[in-house]
Amino acid sequence: MRRPRVLLVTPDFPPATGGIQRLLGEIVARCAGWDTRVVTIAQAGDAQGGARVSVGGRASALLRPTRIARLNATGVWRGIGWRPDVVICGHVVASPAALVLQAALRVPTVQYVYASELSHRRRLSRVALGRSTATVALSRHAADVARSAGADPARVHVISPGVDVPEPSADGPAKFELPTVLTVARLADRYKGFDVMLRAMPLVRARLPAARWVVIGDGPLRGELERTARAWGLEDAVLFPGQVADQELDEWFSRAHVFAMLSRLPADGGGEGYGLVYLEAAAHGLACVAGNAGAVAEAVIDGETGLLVDANDHVEAAAALTQLLADPAGAADLGAAGRARALTQSWERMAAALEALVDELIGSRR
Amino acid sequence: MVHRGPDDQGSFVDPSGAALGARRLSVIDVEGGHQPVCNEDGTIWAVLNGEIYNHPALYAGLRARGHVSRSRTDTEVLVHLYEDYGDALVHALEGMYCFAIWDAKRRRLLLARDRFGEKPLFYRASGGRLTFASELTALQRGVDAADAVDPVSLTAFLALGYVPGSRSMVCDVSQLAPASVLVWSSQDPVARISRYWRLPDLQPPATRSLEELTTELDLRLSAAVRSRLLADVPVGVLLSGGVDSTLVAAYAARASRGPIKTFTIGYDKSDFDERPRARRVAGILGSEHLEMVLTPAGVADGVPPMLRQLDQPVADPALVALHAVCGLAREHVTVAVGGEGADELFAGYPRYRWLAVSGRIARVAPAPLVAAGAGALSIGLRGRARRLTDVLGGGHVVERHLNWVTDGLAQGAQQIWGPALRGLTTPFEPVADANEVIARSGASGLVRAFMTLDQERWLPNDVLTKADRSSMLVSLEMRTPFLDRSLAEFAATVPISEHAGPRDKHLLRSLIERVWPELDSGQPKKAFRVPLAEWLRGPLRPVLDAQLARGQAFAEGWLDRSAVGQLVDEHASGRADRSRLLWSVLAFESWLEAQRGTSAL
Repeated sequence: MRRPRVLLVTPDFPPATGGIQRLLGEIVARCAGWDTRVVTIAQAGDAQGGARVSVGGRASALLRPTRIARLNATGVWRGIGWRPDVVICGHVVASPAALVLQAALRVPTVQYVYASELSHRRRLSRVALGRSTATVALSRHAADVARSAGADPARVHVISPGVDVPEPSADGPAKFELPTVLTVARLADRYKGFDVMLRAMPLVRARLPAARWVVIGDGPLRGELERTARAWGLEDAVLFPGQVADQELDEWFSRAHVFAMLSRLPADGGGEGYGLVYLEAAAHGLACVAGNAGAVAEAVIDGETGLLVDANDHVEAAAALTQLLADPAGAADLGAAGRARALTQSWERMAAALEALVDELIGSRR
Repeated sequence: MVHRGPDDQGSFVDPSGAALGARRLSVIDVEGGHQPVCNEDGTIWAVLNGEIYNHPALYAGLRARGHVSRSRTDTEVLVHLYEDYGDALVHALEGMYCFAIWDAKRRRLLLARDRFGEKPLFYRASGGRLTFASELTALQRGVDAADAVDPVSLTAFLALGYVPGSRSMVCDVSQLAPASVLVWSSQDPVARISRYWRLPDLQPPATRSLEELTTELDLRLSAAVRSRLLADVPVGVLLSGGVDSTLVAAYAARASRGPIKTFTIGYDKSDFDERPRARRVAGILGSEHLEMVLTPAGVADGVPPMLRQLDQPVADPALVALHAVCGLAREHVTVAVGGEGADELFAGYPRYRWLAVSGRIARVAPAPLVAAGAGALSIGLRGRARRLTDVLGGGHVVERHLNWVTDGLAQGAQQIWGPALRGLTTPFEPVADANEVIARSGASGLVRAFMTLDQERWLPNDVLTKADRSSMLVSLEMRTPFLDRSLAEFAATVPISEHAGPRDKHLLRSLIERVWPELDSGQPKKAFRVPLAEWLRGPLRPVLDAQLARGQAFAEGWLDRSAVGQLVDEHASGRADRSRLLWSVLAFESWLEAQRGTSAL
């Protein structure tokens, strides 16, 4: 049997950064049994390989309609020319291309869903989830969101992403002297709870005056967050290093004491589809403080790998942060448990599950 | 001060001479809520005026950290939070409050006031002594000498109708500013004040659609109203029929099991009367609706005692109506929620839109041309249209703004100054103060600058003073969901173009249209007005005449008798509308006479 031809149509793909981009990049790299091609939106720093077709201009924080239209048109054009065995759609905005190919070529389609995008594009989601052959969600929470957005429950599969667990090294960088809380995120979605973290910091510093919060990442909310920190006299307590290279990120993960992100369920539903970054923090042996809502409550086990708090309650969050910062040994125990759990969540496991699903879809067609 | 707390009283005197006292209006834990409250070993004492809405969640956290509580009051929560966080406890509080915490071991006092200034706190720090109270009047009883009127405060009061900033009408008494703490200790017996919070100027990017914004607003306003319904006594809603109070009533109705009670005041003069709109909303919500008509006779009877009891004078004529509706509500409930604060946070005033237009014009046209154009336009215009050309026209923008909000009082008030004011102050004090607020805020644009000014001055010194005094005079607790911290911070993340671009209060109107379409009246904003000009020609004329005939302010030289007499004549004859200034004169006169009467006792 020849290798299955898999066409991935997605607006998000490396070298752009983010959890979704990382996940789709790993699919292409790890599903070695496939002949894979990718149609995506061009990024600065793209290497134009044979397996990849990029359309549109450079990446932008907001997906512009013309780029999405070109992505879909190119997806259809390349798909008809190449005749894949299966089409994987990386985001509902690319579902028109997948559905056209499904009808034109009679091939199965796999729709990836996260969570918040389904509430932002309700009508398109209903069509995409109603018609695609299979839906892949990254968590039970995301699967629930997909079902309530119109997916057939029997066709929703939960395949969570993997994580790279670094080898512990004795000569690695030491922890920071200052009690350091770390957040890593694109600064774009308000549901990630940066506002509640800012409210919590004065209470954390009342107990631990040297405590600081480091926010790695960039995005449209950065200016607002910096202005709030200044207005509240927290300019020395909150650091915004911006986006950093992978190696530097590893160093931040290794040297910080606690990872925190208070993602909440936004008013329109959705929120975190998985929260890959919590797993990455755990892989680095960091205890997590997280909101007790949605997929995050699957990523962080309360009292075992971190502490779950009411994501809207900055006083509770401050108490949890203070507890972990003031007790490094206890935090290290939670971090160790988190690392052990991350070891069970390999990318190979994810790739095997996805390959099995694709084989099943192709097989049932024949 | 008994009206602030008719139900209970308590005091504590430290052997060193420090003393705390409280009067209580029992709302939460009616039986167990005696004040002052102390910690387990009696070293930390607290008194609280107001409410800490998140105290149930705070108790849960405190218990998890091993604290033992004896009551379930929000006052006791202060004591335990202070043990954990010290002065930073303010960052944990959501509510309207002023409180005092005495740390007996460190011999140190902490005073704090809520973020927007809903509850008042006056203090006097001199000669190594600090005295403080929720009312100016209570402080004056504590000193021997007759209190001197502060000329700068009086000037500002005549121009604006309220005393702006941290001053009081009395020379050496100050108000603690909103969102501030004051620390005083026996080692360092000086009032050390610091601000603990401000609404940041975010210059937010326009990343969210109107639908996303209203969805989030729906969630936050709903939560804010729900938290303010928490009480062990009956709660009602003050309903004017406008957008703000309609929304509050709608969320309150949804959160309550039974029908809610709504209260409205009206006039027998149809163009000021809002009863039909309120009645319509009440009908749709199925509330138990009570209304009352403010008659000329009722005004003549009610106004003089109310003005005499005003602790620090505030000359906003809407006080009369608010006081009356609070009186009506107090017959049925102990706590009432209202729509205060929505205009300041969600750009409810039309002037914000005109300022935005003015800013755009100023960017493209040279200033002299604009001034000439506005001057030409203003010929033949009267009233509001005339004021509009004032805003668009030349001159300094802050002066133009103050003229707009005070009907030109900012520049016209000095004609009635008496000899005691001349030479001690200048008519530019209020302008200088406004300029300073704006400069300090570093606001990113004209509209944001004036919203900040309104949030820092108009809101605490007029709107909330009015709300606190009119409700407390009848022992009613008034709560304001729009001043919820997270709701206010959400409002700051909304771009000005969404707030004031398409129409004033765009977001709140959109919320009604999308979430409560049945309540949408489609009518434009009607400012909450009272027929003051008519009253001063009718029922209040004898009140004014009698007050001016006694003329304490003339006797002390603060005001000029003949100039005021001329104003009265102009107004009575109908040649001009002098009601705003006359109302300020009446309020100040009544206050001054009451003060002197008090100090003579």
